[in-house]
Amino acid sequence: MLRPATLTALAILALACGSLIGLARAGSDFASLLTLGPYLARLLASAGLQAALSTLLSLLLGTALALALLRRCFPGRELLLALLTTAAVAPTIVIAFGVVAIYGRSGLLGSLMRGIGAEPPSIYGLHGIVLAHVLMNMPLVTRALLHAFEREPGERRRLAAALGFTAADCFRHLDWPVIRREAPALAVLVFLLCFTSFAIVLSLGGGPANATLEVAIYEAVRFEADFVRAAALAGLQLVICLGLAASLSALTPRARAEAGAGHRAPRPDLRTMRGIDAGVLALGTVLVAPPLLSVASGLAHLPSLASVEFVRAAATSAVIAITAGLLACLLALLLASSARRLPQRSRLADLAAFALLGLPPFAFVAGLYVLLRGLGDPASLGLVLVPLVNALMALPYTYRLLAPALATSAERHGRLAESLGLAGWNRLRLVEWPALRGALGAAFAFATALSLGDFGVIALFGGPELTTLPYLLANRLGAYRIDEAGALALVLVLSAGGLAFLTQRWSARHA
Amino acid sequence: MTGLSGRTGLIAGMLAALLFAAPTLAQDKPALNVYTYSSFTGKYGPGAKVKAAFEAQCQCTLNWVAADDAGSLLARLKLEGETTRADLVLGLDMNLAAEAKATGLFQPHGQDSTTLTLPTPWTDDTLLPFDWGHLAFVYDSTRLATPPQSLKQLVDDPKGPKLVLQDPRTSAPGLGFLLWMRAVYGDEADAAWGKLKLRIVTFTKGWSEAYGLFLKGEADMVLSYATSPAYHLGAEKKTQYKAAPFAEGHYLHVELAGMTRATKQPELAKRFLAFMLSDAFQSLIPEGNWMMPAKQPATGLPTSFAEVIRPEKTLLVAPETVRSQRRAFIDAWLAATSR
Repeated sequence: MLRPATLTALAILALACGSLIGLARAGSDFASLLTLGPYLARLLASAGLQAALSTLLSLLLGTALALALLRRCFPGRELLLALLTTAAVAPTIVIAFGVVAIYGRSGLLGSLMRGIGAEPPSIYGLHGIVLAHVLMNMPLVTRALLHAFEREPGERRRLAAALGFTAADCFRHLDWPVIRREAPALAVLVFLLCFTSFAIVLSLGGGPANATLEVAIYEAVRFEADFVRAAALAGLQLVICLGLAASLSALTPRARAEAGAGHRAPRPDLRTMRGIDAGVLALGTVLVAPPLLSVASGLAHLPSLASVEFVRAAATSAVIAITAGLLACLLALLLASSARRLPQRSRLADLAAFALLGLPPFAFVAGLYVLLRGLGDPASLGLVLVPLVNALMALPYTYRLLAPALATSAERHGRLAESLGLAGWNRLRLVEWPALRGALGAAFAFATALSLGDFGVIALFGGPELTTLPYLLANRLGAYRIDEAGALALVLVLSAGGLAFLTQRWSARHA
Repeated sequence: MTGLSGRTGLIAGMLAALLFAAPTLAQDKPALNVYTYSSFTGKYGPGAKVKAAFEAQCQCTLNWVAADDAGSLLARLKLEGETTRADLVLGLDMNLAAEAKATGLFQPHGQDSTTLTLPTPWTDDTLLPFDWGHLAFVYDSTRLATPPQSLKQLVDDPKGPKLVLQDPRTSAPGLGFLLWMRAVYGDEADAAWGKLKLRIVTFTKGWSEAYGLFLKGEADMVLSYATSPAYHLGAEKKTQYKAAPFAEGHYLHVELAGMTRATKQPELAKRFLAFMLSDAFQSLIPEGNWMMPAKQPATGLPTSFAEVIRPEKTLLVAPETVRSQRRAFIDAWLAATSR
């Protein structure tokens, strides 16, 4: 009999491939990718470069920030964490405009520099893309690593203190094993997110030399209505993602099975690292906060939002986002459930989670639509597809947050649970729930906020009968109403931030 | 979901869809489904007024079904194919016209197109224009005192204004400007792009991002429509935004509608197309969609349109040429601007 994890993973992979086949079937003629050869090679090279740079910087800064947050308790720590989550899930258009508001020609930094008589450097180009990507992905690394560090047994820290560890010893023996275990998967996650990034790459790229495969896929769908080519390009992107995901298990060391309690104990490196931590925390805040806080300029235009349309959109967004958030957590738990029996990662589950990152949302939705169109009329199909696809798009994040937590729980309590004959629901309730609560809160917040800001899926199915906040934002931008769009961006960022803050408190109380 | 409204409608719809394929609600009046792009509907678009005006005379219900933009409209229609519920599609553009006709999903519009007030005669019997606009570079006259007076001047002046454009791979006006450059420079277009690219801030995914960046002060000029200043004048009472007239002429953007072959109500669909060219519809276009009406209403244009530039020469590349040459043009543009 197939286990739930295998079944879920196979279902996701089938859905991914099925949607592309469905899309290709809707096309009429056979496309030749060969004519696109040199163009594609250039796209892949430039996408690979910016994604590699973004990943490297996100990992370095994210790790430093996670360690600093682990070591330090300070007023505003929860706010900073909420801000980080918000940066990771904010709609890309909000991030792009946020970066421009600070670093652009007429941005805050530019105005300040011009005030002292210096000409500010242009933000447009590879560095602009990397900056925006680090802004969005460093927080992801920080959040995931912080969870992993906090799960480490407190005994180790006490032992480290007893042995008189220096700060370097602490890093080598306490932190490095955790980083070594979590970093490869996080690196693949961040790389794929940047590799498939689209609106940011074009808005901040400064020229067509900076583009991704996603641009070609969008072009095939929207300009050529050439679904065969779109499916082939999406397939290519999927294969690249799967290839990277498959190499993951080779890079990841086996988790060590060990028992221990998760309670807190002071680390011996608290004093020596004080200055460095303060610097890292300041750098992280300076990087993330200003672009996000720049949406506050929408404050003055909030009254312009008052309309039935806005209330409906907010309600629709809430229903879709909460459904998608719950579904994304449920699917991640199912996918990660193999960790209950096997101490090592499940390759198939990893593959399935990463496959979803390789799927261009528009191609995925279009393909699913073709597969399911016999089942109902398009409007109601959209109502089901939007939360479902949002949940699947959020799954790589929720899985990344939940799988390690479930694995740790299995390492610590798995044998005891088995010897007691605890299984299924009872094991979930008594053994795993207490260990998972914290991560679940974060995962739900991530998935819900991500769905709240999604525009990729709603683009095809939105309309008077299905209007969400990001849809309204795009609608207003398309009708010259940039001020009202700014107010909507503020509402989106505040909702994501508020959600992150609330779950933060909930997780902290249940850690 | 026409019989229901608001949240109740949404939740009921979700439940129905989750339980079973949603049952179609019984209706006394025939319903006409019109696919359009999102900014045509919504609070500021002309959609709601068009619906009210048409329903007052048709004994029917008009349902707007919206997709993001012209590209996703065509994509959605093609995905649905013969099973589409669309009776009409409103919002395709010239660049997509050949692709749209090649799908074979449209049927002749049967309207008299000789009375249209487009800058060029209209002969297509399948797709019918409902509005149009010249592409133009828009600037803030309080920040840029002397705009270039021709495309050549824009290209040649190394100290000229900084521009924000749209990527021709992902945006209709972006492709329009690529064709504009072709129309003016012919085979010299690549060299011209080479000179121009130094002053291009970025090529955005779509019109909205580019216009937003321009309004935030990131560039001196943005590629938009000659009618954009009319919006700032009419809706915001701001007079500083202008469109720069270029001596070589301006590229034309035409927005099109067509009726599907799948429609079960061809008579009603034809009535809508006739209504679309009537004053009732056309008078809603200027200050609703901020474009020029395809057939100027008897009442003329609103005062906000008084200063809209009227280029003497209109540039246009035939849809069939766009379809066959687009890839080659884009490859040449990539080579010229990527270096």
